[in-house]
Amino acid sequence: MNSLLHLLQLTFRKVVPPPGALGLFCCIVLFSACHSASDSVNTPKKMAVIVSTLNNPWFVVLAESAAAEAKLLGYETKIFDSQNNTALEADHVENAIVSGFNAILLNPTDSDGSIVNVMKAKEAGLPVFCMDREVNASGAATAQILSDNYSGCVAIGEDFVKGLNKKGTYVEILGLVGDNNTWNRSKGFHSVVDRYPGLKMVAQQSADFDRNKAMDVLESMLQAHPDINAVFCGNDAMAMGAYQALVAAGKASDVGVYGFDGADDVMNSIRDRKIKATGMQSPQVMAQTAARYADAYIKGKRDFAQRVPVAVELVTQKNIADYLTLTRP
Amino acid sequence: MNPTTDRRKMARKPLLPRPLLYAIELALFGFIAYNSLYIRKLSDIKAAGTAAAGAFQAPQYARSFWTSKLLPAAPGMATDLGTLLISLKTDKDKAFAAHSHAMGIGNIRYFLIKGEGTVTATSDNDVTVTLPTGEPIHLATEFVFGNAARDASGLINITEFDNTTDLNNVSAELNDIIRKQVIPGLKASAKPGTKLSFIGALELNQAHLHTNDLTVIPIRTAL
Repeated sequence: MNSLLHLLQLTFRKVVPPPGALGLFCCIVLFSACHSASDSVNTPKKMAVIVSTLNNPWFVVLAESAAAEAKLLGYETKIFDSQNNTALEADHVENAIVSGFNAILLNPTDSDGSIVNVMKAKEAGLPVFCMDREVNASGAATAQILSDNYSGCVAIGEDFVKGLNKKGTYVEILGLVGDNNTWNRSKGFHSVVDRYPGLKMVAQQSADFDRNKAMDVLESMLQAHPDINAVFCGNDAMAMGAYQALVAAGKASDVGVYGFDGADDVMNSIRDRKIKATGMQSPQVMAQTAARYADAYIKGKRDFAQRVPVAVELVTQKNIADYLTLTRP
Repeated sequence: MNPTTDRRKMARKPLLPRPLLYAIELALFGFIAYNSLYIRKLSDIKAAGTAAAGAFQAPQYARSFWTSKLLPAAPGMATDLGTLLISLKTDKDKAFAAHSHAMGIGNIRYFLIKGEGTVTATSDNDVTVTLPTGEPIHLATEFVFGNAARDASGLINITEFDNTTDLNNVSAELNDIIRKQVIPGLKASAKPGTKLSFIGALELNQAHLHTNDLTVIPIRTAL
């Protein structure tokens, strides 16, 4: 028993430092704690802006607007280009996690393929705010700020029905078939137009949101259906392609073209009475809202709506004057 | 006789006759096979999934909202249209802040309004009512679409929904209720010269405001 006590005394002496050393150790701990606290106060917080592609001017506006708003709110920002590649997007998310970013403003590359990337950030405690495109999962992103594609196309559908006086034949050119926006737009449009039996859709085909493909698609549609009265396109690029096909066929003045986006060339074409109408989206509003939500999250807010629709405005030949003063030549 | 051989013969003899053993094995196999495989119609499973507890039912939600919330609250909540028009001309932003609602973000906002006037015209698409101030407005009878009826009261909170499809379906169902319950009576009774009071939902664009050709989605009308 005595030998055991002796052993304990020896061990205790080995572990416990002399009083002077203990004081020095406490000072070091206290100093480093204060230093790191002042670091966290002085170091600006950071937001990562990850966008599907910077090859498309639409997404450039989205990314730059988000970064600008975040800077205005006092954050350091960095824009990452996923180049429409979910693997690259995953790298950017990991980069954001290890680099100590406080939030991600994400324009997802793929509605399904990006879920795993959003979940990875969530598991690392990083809030993700989706802009313009959604991921098909509730509770993965903190909030998703999205164009109200459906309601925008309800408005277009109503204008379409009025324009055709409730009767005629038309074709629909869809965007990417795997993109949620494609179907939300189509469903919104059909929720109105399909109520009118006098309006008959004679063909429906995808042109992948691409202007040249839309031109080719409509050219072949016109061969099968030369007497159509209107074309509904899932975006403005395709509307411009469709219009070119109608010009080439000598039918530009007979067939009404409807688009979606509010792109400059279509706005000018509405002004020039070449295109009937479009739905004007607002990438700036979506980006700014995402940045503000992220700021609110960092400051403690937690009750966000899962999906926040951003209004799409109907622009027609009747109200185009309201919008031309914004940027158009 | 060799006792060892006798024991082997006894050991080989089955406990049950072979036909009975086969019958039991076959029955056992059939029982396991039957309970291993279920065939059901895909449409039944989809329908069951939709109706499962927790799945959102837009028609029920819209009916309940219409009956229990919107109709009882509308007379008290609605802003007088004549007063609103004056407010919009005086201070647009203040009027939007005080009286408009929207579940989304952006320039499109909705007002729950009430008013009365005289029917001055009817068409396939609307009933024109002239307000006491002399301004004509249209009560929609054909193009009842969009989110005005859903959003104008501000009584629905967006955090109740975790997907936009449910939100859109609520709008569609409310518009359907209006088509079935409000429009037929309005069309039947609205003749030029008749006095009419109404409660309705009005959509306005805050950034590009035009108040000269207003169309109201009717929620309640009375002669």
